[in-house]
Amino acid sequence: MKNVPSARSLAIGSIITVVLLAFIYLYPRIIIAWLGEANPWTSYLYHYGFGLVFFLMGIYLILRSGACRFGRGHDSFWFGVLIAGFVFFAAMHAIWIVAAQRIPYLGGQ
Amino acid sequence: MAAPSFGIELSFTATVVIALIVVGYFFLIPAFGTYFSRFSRDINDFFFSGQRFAWWLAAASMVATGIGSYSYLKYSEQGFRTGMSSAMTYTNDWFIVPFFMFGWLPIIYFARVRSIPEYFERRFNRTARYIAVCIIMAYMFFYIGYNLFTIGVALEGMFGLPVLYSVPVVAMFLGAYVTFGGQTAVIFTDLFQGIMLYVAGGIAILAGIYALGGFAEWWSFLPESHRLPFVHLTENEKFNTSGLFWGEALAGSIAFTFMNQGFIMRYLAIKSVHEGRKASLFNVLITLPLSAVIVGAVGWIAKALIVKQASSGGVLEGLDPIHIENTFHTFIIVTWETLQHNSWLFGFVIAALTAALMSTIDTLINACAAIGIYDIYKPLIKPDADDRHYLKAARWASVITTVIGVLLVIWFANQQGSLMQIHYKGVMVIIPSIVTTIFLGAFWKRFTAPAACISMLVGSVLTIITNWTPNWIDPLSWFVSGPHNDVYIYMRALFGMVVTGVVGVVISFLTQPRKTAEIQGLTIDTLDAGMAIYKGGEPNHELGEKVRRLPLKIDDSIEEGIIRLTPKVMDLLKAREGDLVYVEDSRWFLGGLRSDHLKAGTPCDGPDNAVLMSGKTADNGYLLERRTVTLEKIF
Repeated sequence: MKNVPSARSLAIGSIITVVLLAFIYLYPRIIIAWLGEANPWTSYLYHYGFGLVFFLMGIYLILRSGACRFGRGHDSFWFGVLIAGFVFFAAMHAIWIVAAQRIPYLGGQ
Repeated sequence: MAAPSFGIELSFTATVVIALIVVGYFFLIPAFGTYFSRFSRDINDFFFSGQRFAWWLAAASMVATGIGSYSYLKYSEQGFRTGMSSAMTYTNDWFIVPFFMFGWLPIIYFARVRSIPEYFERRFNRTARYIAVCIIMAYMFFYIGYNLFTIGVALEGMFGLPVLYSVPVVAMFLGAYVTFGGQTAVIFTDLFQGIMLYVAGGIAILAGIYALGGFAEWWSFLPESHRLPFVHLTENEKFNTSGLFWGEALAGSIAFTFMNQGFIMRYLAIKSVHEGRKASLFNVLITLPLSAVIVGAVGWIAKALIVKQASSGGVLEGLDPIHIENTFHTFIIVTWETLQHNSWLFGFVIAALTAALMSTIDTLINACAAIGIYDIYKPLIKPDADDRHYLKAARWASVITTVIGVLLVIWFANQQGSLMQIHYKGVMVIIPSIVTTIFLGAFWKRFTAPAACISMLVGSVLTIITNWTPNWIDPLSWFVSGPHNDVYIYMRALFGMVVTGVVGVVISFLTQPRKTAEIQGLTIDTLDAGMAIYKGGEPNHELGEKVRRLPLKIDDSIEEGIIRLTPKVMDLLKAREGDLVYVEDSRWFLGGLRSDHLKAGTPCDGPDNAVLMSGKTADNGYLLERRTVTLEKIF
């Protein structure tokens, strides 16, 4: 075993993997049980729930590796843009669903 | 006498008018590209335009690169079938943006990576490079053939020209300006075509909204299912939220942003990483959502028109009855009807459709040629030739790429199924193994060369096999609460990513990684070293001002690549001797066409804070002594 990380790293990695797998398995089942599969909010929560996990993994990686350092060049600005962009898309899609459901449909059946 | 139609009946006059506009456009674009080819002097300019353009120029040209001729047909059809959820594929990219902005973009930019396969060799080894070449070329050729095929189908329907005759003619014009123009020509042509695409799409949308009686009418007659931004989680076996998240938002977005050589070359043409981030932000936040509307809205309008027509007794005032028997023709039928058979406007829209083809394909051809030269010809066939030779070879590579694209059309012409099916069925098989390998390579420094090679091969082979054994995907789809069917267009990508990832991690644990010193600047943890290598010294991150409109003076006693500035200008820039300074012609609308990255030399006392450089340095950046320049410290 030439490239195996330390026992501590391995233990932490295993715990994170198990938690992540548990989340991937349980999260959609919880929202489906709560809202039903056909509810548009189920699709929304599926998309942004899993999306948030990947987004936060990215944020963690860029901070931990030093690729993004607050106070260096424009890094703080771009970090703010990343967070604002996520909020923008999540809010836009949420408002979109509300508008789709609230405004009357005139086309009949 | 009516021409053979593409879902519509065109009169002879209308056919002639449309043909004239399209043919005129075909001649205009190569002329445009050929003019800008004068700014491609060497092989670096031909492919990458020397890392000098402003973000907005690259971002604008990405519009045209991102929208293909198939986009109008495919997304209008999808918009008609499932509504505004057709925009999902254009609005789900933000999750990977942190990885791109702070990871992949600086890695490839500072490492001056010419192509993704080159990155694979530097990060892993030569074997990994050639496995990557095979996969990426398959991806590029797939797109070129697919684009040519869709425009061939459109031309066949409009003018009765058989696909196998019209496509070679179209390809000949395309090849002409890409072959002689290179990346600079492509970027400027795409800028023009991007504008054309939005104008033409806007005309089609406005005509539709007007025909419906206004925006409020359109929304009111759109069923709730068609208004929603997300489709049902699993119901539609070919278009569902769970599959789209794993296959498109993750694998597809990574492929398009990280691996698409056309986009990579756009980013490498930009003057700095900071500007590259602006282009990326604009692309994800503005261009992609807007493009989703431009290519999909006609389908949304079509649905509202059909509903309103049905509730108004079968006909709408001022319009012929609209019948969409084959949804593949949605865009053409609805645009023709809502433009009330106006041949000139319809011709313009069709010309834009053609523009979409040309602008996507020119980038792909140029990108394939780049891989052909940097990954095959230079390392394997002729390693030590001069730039002139490689430039000539690059032009031949563009010709060969175009010919292969045309040959692939024969294969596409024999495929069954809708455009959407053919497209994603192919892409979701090709990309998963390579996007996973790129990801692990850039963000996990323990990832080893043998692991990269084996995982790419195993991942690709097993993903291909699932075309005949879709039940292999069942457990994975069940685990993520995905759909249960034998189609698995998008879930196939998740399968490929999981297999590649697991194999890659396990083999990495069993093999020796390269020393950190050998992969400096090629992983996210070693970016500081990458920046220092790029600059040739320690980066200076202190933020300075942009100093505008300084006179340029030629002083041939100064070494090539160096500029000398007054202490006052140095102070405004917060620059020190040896820092990298971007010098551009002060006319903003040139977007960096006349510019260069130069090193700040010893400060000097000069009149009017003039910028001093040698004549050769000015020539290299196409800078003119009679024009003022604007300076910006990079780092």
